[in-house]
Amino acid sequence: MQNKLTIFLLSALFISSSFCQIEKLKWQKADVSYEKQIHDKKRNYSFESDNAGEFLAKSLANAYWFFISDVDGENCPFRPSCSSFLLQSAKETNIFQASLMFFDRFTRDMNLAKGHDHYPIVSSGHFYDPPHNYTLNQGRINYLPPSFIVDDE
Amino acid sequence: MRTILTIIFLIPLPVFSQSLAFDFHSPENIKKFADYLFCEGDYLRAIEQYDFLNQNLDNDTTEFKVMLGYSELGLFQKSNEIFKGVNHKSIFYPDAYLLSLKNKLLIEPQMIKDTSISSLDSFQLKSFCRLTTISMLYDDEFNIPEEKFISPFDEDERNSVLAFYDYKVEPKYKSPALAGVLSAIIPGSGKMYVSEWGDGITALVVTSLFAFLAYDNFNADHNTRAWIFTGLGAFFYAGNIYGSVASAQIFNARIDFEFNDGLKFFLKQRNYFLPEYDFCK
Repeated sequence: MQNKLTIFLLSALFISSSFCQIEKLKWQKADVSYEKQIHDKKRNYSFESDNAGEFLAKSLANAYWFFISDVDGENCPFRPSCSSFLLQSAKETNIFQASLMFFDRFTRDMNLAKGHDHYPIVSSGHFYDPPHNYTLNQGRINYLPPSFIVDDE
Repeated sequence: MRTILTIIFLIPLPVFSQSLAFDFHSPENIKKFADYLFCEGDYLRAIEQYDFLNQNLDNDTTEFKVMLGYSELGLFQKSNEIFKGVNHKSIFYPDAYLLSLKNKLLIEPQMIKDTSISSLDSFQLKSFCRLTTISMLYDDEFNIPEEKFISPFDEDERNSVLAFYDYKVEPKYKSPALAGVLSAIIPGSGKMYVSEWGDGITALVVTSLFAFLAYDNFNADHNTRAWIFTGLGAFFYAGNIYGSVASAQIFNARIDFEFNDGLKFFLKQRNYFLPEYDFCK
């Protein structure tokens, strides 16, 4: 009985000395959220456009998405995908220039060795190849080395 | 007896383990703690502690350490704001001045046009000369003879500095116009010219294939198919010329990027020619 009392006393004193907090503030739980945000990339099938060229590009992209891509699955190794590249190009330039940019992109897509030390990688694993690098406006080029990893936003 | 002894022995533990009698928040102890944090590289908390000092025990050293701390944290603007308050008569003023130049270069890569100050010793003056000279590389109208440019640098630095000099004087750019013309003559050759061999060969194969299909279908009187292949081939051909010009521009952007990145790495390796300050010995 005496031994038990000693052990109890020892434990109580040890705990009180170890965990006593003389600081004014007590430790508080951190308000941290571990929720991972998911960027839901739903396709925008609307035909909203600023001009006729953009409307044409949007129509082509919508048709491709609806009849081919949604059925076949997403296979483009690039980000933005080739269809989105055409849309963004049409928005940034005009339909004629966007067509040339698209065919150049399509040729680069067919290159079997495109993955070799060429494009920076998006965190999702795709090759990052934004249209603003191809508008022929030197000031708009944002060169990123292949070792760079772009956040998938 | 044993129990009593144990209790007597253990009572002082909770009572005196962390007594309030010891003033953790005295200026001396705050400074000691701040110095400790600074030496541990925890600059943010060190600066916070130095700020608690206010006027107590605040001196030239702590002021410079705060400036250095902000610079190490990448808050170069903030660091230079501290510099504005540094007394010109302070023994740290020359060091703070050099640090402010480093910060300036890190805020925006540009040619340093500041003049030397009289309080710089010979070593600091050498650092100043090297820093201002290397910053000339960021000037768009760079025009300085090679001998003069490399003169402030040590023997072991000269090769690297010379490489940057050559890079600046004769950047290995590719001509976008030539890339376009080459691709117009032989599809894909413009891409090959800018070292995009894979894209170049693909462009050559694809354009040739559509040209052949168009030719073959015209020969076989399949005019509709022939015109479809002609149209596709024409788009691939034109797209490749356009892409070659764009690729040459991207190639040139890569040259600039590598130059700036290499220079930044070189300067970082040498701490922007500033001495390593050791306040922790």
